[in-house]
Amino acid sequence: MTPKICFYFQVHQPYRLRDLRVTDIGKGDPDYFDIEKNDAIFRKVAEKCYLPANKLILDLVKTYPDFYVSYSLSGVFLDQCEEYGPDVLDSFRALAATGKVEFMAETYYHSLSYLKSLDEFCAQVSKHVKKIQKLFGQTPSVFRNTELIYSNEIAQAVRLMGFKGILAEGADRLLEGRSPNEPFVPPKFRMPKKRELIIQNNRPLPERSDNIHVLLKNYRLSDDVAFRFSDRSWVGFPLNAETFTDWLLSSGGNNINLFMDYETFGEHQWADTGIFEFVRALPKIWQDRGVQTATPSQVIDSWNAKHKNIVDAHSYVSWADSERDLSAWQGNLIQDAALSALFALEHPVKESGDTELLEIWRKLSTSDHFYYMCTKYWSDGDVHKYFSPYDSPYEAYRRYSHALCDLRTRLEEPKPLSKKHTM
Amino acid sequence: MKLHTLMFGWEYPPHHTGGLGVACQGLVRGLLKNGVHVTLVLPHNQGATEENMDVRFPTEEVRTIIQVQSALQPYDNFEEYAARLNIHNIPREINTLYGPDLGQAVEQFTAMSVEMTKDIHADVVHSHDWMTFEAGARAARYHDKPFIAHIHATELDRTNFSPDPWIAEKERKGLMAADKVIAVSQYTKNMLTDHYGINGDKINVVYNGHDQKAASTEPVIMSQTGKKKKPIVLFLGRLTIQKNPWQFLEVAKRVHDYRPDAQFIMAGDGSMLNELVDRACALGLADNIIFTGKVQGKEIEALYRAADCFVMPSLSEPFGLVALEAIAHGTPVILSKQSGAAEVVEHAYKVDYWDTDMMADCLLTILREEPLAMQLQAEAPRVLQRLTWQNQAGKVSSIYRDMTQC
Repeated sequence: MTPKICFYFQVHQPYRLRDLRVTDIGKGDPDYFDIEKNDAIFRKVAEKCYLPANKLILDLVKTYPDFYVSYSLSGVFLDQCEEYGPDVLDSFRALAATGKVEFMAETYYHSLSYLKSLDEFCAQVSKHVKKIQKLFGQTPSVFRNTELIYSNEIAQAVRLMGFKGILAEGADRLLEGRSPNEPFVPPKFRMPKKRELIIQNNRPLPERSDNIHVLLKNYRLSDDVAFRFSDRSWVGFPLNAETFTDWLLSSGGNNINLFMDYETFGEHQWADTGIFEFVRALPKIWQDRGVQTATPSQVIDSWNAKHKNIVDAHSYVSWADSERDLSAWQGNLIQDAALSALFALEHPVKESGDTELLEIWRKLSTSDHFYYMCTKYWSDGDVHKYFSPYDSPYEAYRRYSHALCDLRTRLEEPKPLSKKHTM
Repeated sequence: MKLHTLMFGWEYPPHHTGGLGVACQGLVRGLLKNGVHVTLVLPHNQGATEENMDVRFPTEEVRTIIQVQSALQPYDNFEEYAARLNIHNIPREINTLYGPDLGQAVEQFTAMSVEMTKDIHADVVHSHDWMTFEAGARAARYHDKPFIAHIHATELDRTNFSPDPWIAEKERKGLMAADKVIAVSQYTKNMLTDHYGINGDKINVVYNGHDQKAASTEPVIMSQTGKKKKPIVLFLGRLTIQKNPWQFLEVAKRVHDYRPDAQFIMAGDGSMLNELVDRACALGLADNIIFTGKVQGKEIEALYRAADCFVMPSLSEPFGLVALEAIAHGTPVILSKQSGAAEVVEHAYKVDYWDTDMMADCLLTILREEPLAMQLQAEAPRVLQRLTWQNQAGKVSSIYRDMTQC
């Protein structure tokens, strides 16, 4: 059997923080986010990646009847499209209009909310589903959590929310030697009633789903494109579309999930590496060699095998780093303190009824803020530095903790005057 | 074959005024551990001893012949220095920076260098800073061995880029004469290529090291009232223009505005002391700052351990051993970006020396956010595992080996 190729591209931009100072705290609602920098980075990536890549994909889906792709666009990315890139938004709408592009659901703020608050997680997913419906006229039926953070419980929660599929990293410890190239299912279990009830009251889709399938990223083949494509020291360099197709076919199975950041095209791998020509060449070769593509929904809908592949994820798995766990966002003292301090404000923010504060608080839940505070490779004296707009993880924490301090002052309602003063 | 280095130093613990003596001692001990035979020549008997090290200094006999009166130290002379350290009024009377005697002392040390080392058969000659460069260069010529100039601080660092021309020329000549230059940081290497015109190919960077002492069991300075200790912010260094103590006061003022409970300690002595005291009073810090004067040994350790944050705001700091010392005592540090230490210390705030507001902001963040302070305390010391003197001296001995083989 020839495997189907399932492309999913992640598109996301965070709201980076500006150089907040102690002197700004409590001084009349400073803007926490660096408008100029966010605008500049968005435009740079739009010119190098979003616009040329969308043009290419649009061309391909129109030219090749069997070519399908899927995207997950974070809500904060879509907000930035509206602020800094209507042209980018239009190009995604053009893709949606072809009917051959599937958009997935995620947390609106590309957040770590599942780790801290099921309420907030449901609220952010619902908000995202509404946004996709409004902008693209389709309702997502497959979910992908921030950075492919996944566990058995997340899969069940997402099923109860109404999704029929969820994406995850095909980590070795989940596969235990099996191929990732088939749909999997999570182990069945009941969630605590209280949590089921939270989901029931905040469900983004009308009905719970009876079943849920897990599509696992084929990280070797995905990373060949996303990370190694232009690596001259790599044995596979230079990679051409024919060879890559050979690898796909020899990988076999039912479906090969090629999941990657959309910035792979033009930003991580620059245009001069030939990445666009590589992608352009694929559909023709696949058509000639009888290789089909499918979106995650199509893969799940067409999967009718009797056997069940169970994937058991007791602990969290993600697609980040070689560890493929939560250690890019949680683990050091400042990361843990920042996330806890944020969620300590969840109820005060929601009880305040102030929608502006809620929006700011939610923008602070974006995973990138915690990623920028990561120090995990430093202990080895490793030169590896995380991509970050700030000088250091400590600078990230400085700005972030100032933002939270200011938010706290804004939540402290003006104290009613004591009698002594009113008399 | 055991390598033998003939080393010209200027100061050595227990008698030293700054980082030069400490670094020299660390390097000597590290070289001995690496199996290198060390002969150290000093301008006068400073009581320096290490097991297996030969120490040479002019004997009374030689002194009588050559008439050496060099009790001077590299960072003197304070009174003369003071006049031009008023930052509103620099540079003035540059020639008096070190006093008239320092030049004489250097010349005489140089004059004796060959006489004192005639019987030594070393593989390399290694000099520390400009005072000893010419002595080393002469000895190297006499013995026909490679000459290594080790630079711990340049005249530009010490004087805020207003060098004494005589000293700068001595430095430049020594560096030009050297077959190899060892700089204590990339920052210093850049200084040598950019301002002294030294070919970068002959400069190797070897960072200073730090040897952890056994943790002291002395109790930390505690509040006598049993109340929660007020946050303590520490400056430790010579009160001279290079160390930028003026900036520390400006930072203290800004921090004080938000954290009136914060206490500031300026530890160290120097020509700027009087004007710093005046300035602290003018800034309204009189009740919140302590000038300790010169501190040593256990006092320094107690200060590091009591401090909630250590600030090194130096204008230009080739390395900055105090940063490693503070880190070794579990103190979070804020470092000038214009320092060598900033290249090796990762878990710290690094700020441009002139950016008062940012320095104050980082300091306030450390004082406010306990998890941040705890992480800096816990993680920063990892650098010390890499930067032991044994490791760093190993790099120096590799340089010796490379030079003696060609």
